[in-house]
Amino acid sequence: MRKFLAMTALAGFMTFGLGLGSSYAGEIDLLLQKLVEKKVLTAGEAQQIGTETKEQVKAEIAAGKFSSLPAWVQNIKLKGDLRLRYQYKHEKAANDYSKDTQIGRLRMRLGLETKVNEKIMVGVGIATNSSGDPRSTNMTFGGSGDGYSTKMEIRLDNAYAKYSALPWLTIVGGKMLLNDVLWEPTDLIWDTDITPEGGVLQFNKGLGDNAGLFMNTGVLVQTADTSSDNDPVMMYIIQPGATYKLNDSMSLKGAFTANIGGNTKGRAYPTADWYKSSNTKNGSNWAYDYRTISPALEFSIKEPFKAVGLDIENMKLFGEYVENLATSDNNTGFSLGFQLGNDKISKFGDWQLKYIYAMLEKDAVLDVTPDSDRYSGKTGMRSHEVALNYGLGKNTFLGLDVYRSWSLIGRRAPETLVQVDWNLKF
Amino acid sequence: MKVFGKLAILGLLVLGLVLPCYAENIVVAGSTTVLPIAQKAAEVFMNNNPGSQISVRGGGSGVGIASIIDGTCDIADASRPIKESELDNAIANGRMPKANVIAMDGICVIVNPSNGINALSKKQIKDIYTGKVSNWSQLGGGNAKIVVISRDSSSGTFEAFGELVLDKEKVRSDALLQASNQAVVTTVSSTPGAIGYVGLGYVSSSVKALDVNGIKPSKESVLSGKYPVGRPLFMYTNKEPRGLAKEFIDFILSADGQRIVEEEGFVGLK
Repeated sequence: MRKFLAMTALAGFMTFGLGLGSSYAGEIDLLLQKLVEKKVLTAGEAQQIGTETKEQVKAEIAAGKFSSLPAWVQNIKLKGDLRLRYQYKHEKAANDYSKDTQIGRLRMRLGLETKVNEKIMVGVGIATNSSGDPRSTNMTFGGSGDGYSTKMEIRLDNAYAKYSALPWLTIVGGKMLLNDVLWEPTDLIWDTDITPEGGVLQFNKGLGDNAGLFMNTGVLVQTADTSSDNDPVMMYIIQPGATYKLNDSMSLKGAFTANIGGNTKGRAYPTADWYKSSNTKNGSNWAYDYRTISPALEFSIKEPFKAVGLDIENMKLFGEYVENLATSDNNTGFSLGFQLGNDKISKFGDWQLKYIYAMLEKDAVLDVTPDSDRYSGKTGMRSHEVALNYGLGKNTFLGLDVYRSWSLIGRRAPETLVQVDWNLKF
Repeated sequence: MKVFGKLAILGLLVLGLVLPCYAENIVVAGSTTVLPIAQKAAEVFMNNNPGSQISVRGGGSGVGIASIIDGTCDIADASRPIKESELDNAIANGRMPKANVIAMDGICVIVNPSNGINALSKKQIKDIYTGKVSNWSQLGGGNAKIVVISRDSSSGTFEAFGELVLDKEKVRSDALLQASNQAVVTTVSSTPGAIGYVGLGYVSSSVKALDVNGIKPSKESVLSGKYPVGRPLFMYTNKEPRGLAKEFIDFILSADGQRIVEEEGFVGLK
């Protein structure tokens, strides 16, 4: 009875002072101490009451945070980033005319994810973007050409729903994040800014502690056509893959991707800026379809140089190959590379160094999907890329990315691109 | 009569099938520190209440609390209070953890009986465990290397020690990690320069418990809150305990239950 009365009084006291929790907690201890001194409670009862009351208040405060808003609002996760870039580019055209340019650029992305219910999640993201370019979210300072400090454009970058139908099956639809559609160790075939449109099934199955299987399969709409009864240009993707942990420090991830769509042959070659006119044309139309296969492999090693006293957290070796089965000429490409340093850049002094050698023949892939920075996003090129990221603090890092690229067709027409980035995540 | 006999047998069979369905089962999971109390109490409780089934397992405080959140246990044993992140996770999953304090524990810092040191301050203990002090001579003892024994990071005792003594700093990398309180006692008792920490209930004559900040670890000093490395032991339920879970917790808080707490070497609340 004594304990019940004390608990009731303290709960009321604490509830009254809920917003001032910690200062009231100290006063409760004093009150309980007095009750022990007056032999109303034993020391053990005082401990029990004091501790349980504090825990109860903690729980009520936590519950209060959740009870005042609808569930989907409580579950919202907001994230974004801002990137400021200095870019130098040296181009040498086929006629040996050379050009050096320097520009400042900005990229802003803002994303939101929320749970609609226990099984369904929705994500929406906006980003800076010029004219709908699918491969870039950069805006160039002064780039509108209309004068000083004109306002920049914001577009819908992604909007998708994910339905976790079964523990091993997730269905994704909408304008999706590339990571939800495919796994790629490099951006040889897919620029990471692309947000494919369509629907995907993701299968994931663990095989014990050390291995797992996955498969991504879906339909991506490339170009819709409602002007005739022609089929839209589609990509039908199937990507089976596997992960395998060799031991505590080494793991492998591999996948084989087949795109059995790519029905572009005979279609008008679009004139938008982001099509680079580097695929083979027949008049003003595409000469070929783009039905590709691409095996890819990534090998990760934790602390690879520990034996020789070098404290490097992680090393990755990776590569992929692509071949367009719809033609036999200039139809292959590959990339090989490595990454050294920290797995993630999360604090001052963290670093990553990456090197990629990439080669894409003229008709290996559609010229609207490869990394837009590698030889301006064209096919028919080879390129070295060296990138260094260095952590400046929590959620902010500097990046230096250098590309040296050449044409595989005709004169070499080399291009050098240097990008210095200040990245801020929030 | 034959018909009556058959009906009676049929009735008994039906009762035999139906009654077990009404026997209540609960699962208790979590802290390895609370485990001996829970196991012994469950054994006595089930003897006193035939038909009740209490399944007790360890796993650590974090595992217990995760289990009460995902509904795979009815009582979560914990040797630390629930964390804010766990509480948020629980409430987001429609759970409302209710803390039930069932006993107190004092974490005793122990050394080999041959060690001349009898008392240390919390700061000195922290300096030993974070690597700032490595020889007993730096603390007024003999010239001997300090062999640091710690619990593995999955144990509630490790977490409590880290918070109460180490201010969440990392344990030195050369510390020998042990998987149980008993293993710490065994190692310290057989290693002259060793220092370790265990729950009060595990202190035996084979090791020496040190005073901390001038306070001797004892039932009285732990209950009063004066001993600086004391902590409550919890059984968390989802909301107020009900049914068999309530009966079991009430039993542990009863005179008989608190006797079990004391017999297991912990500090009873009564």
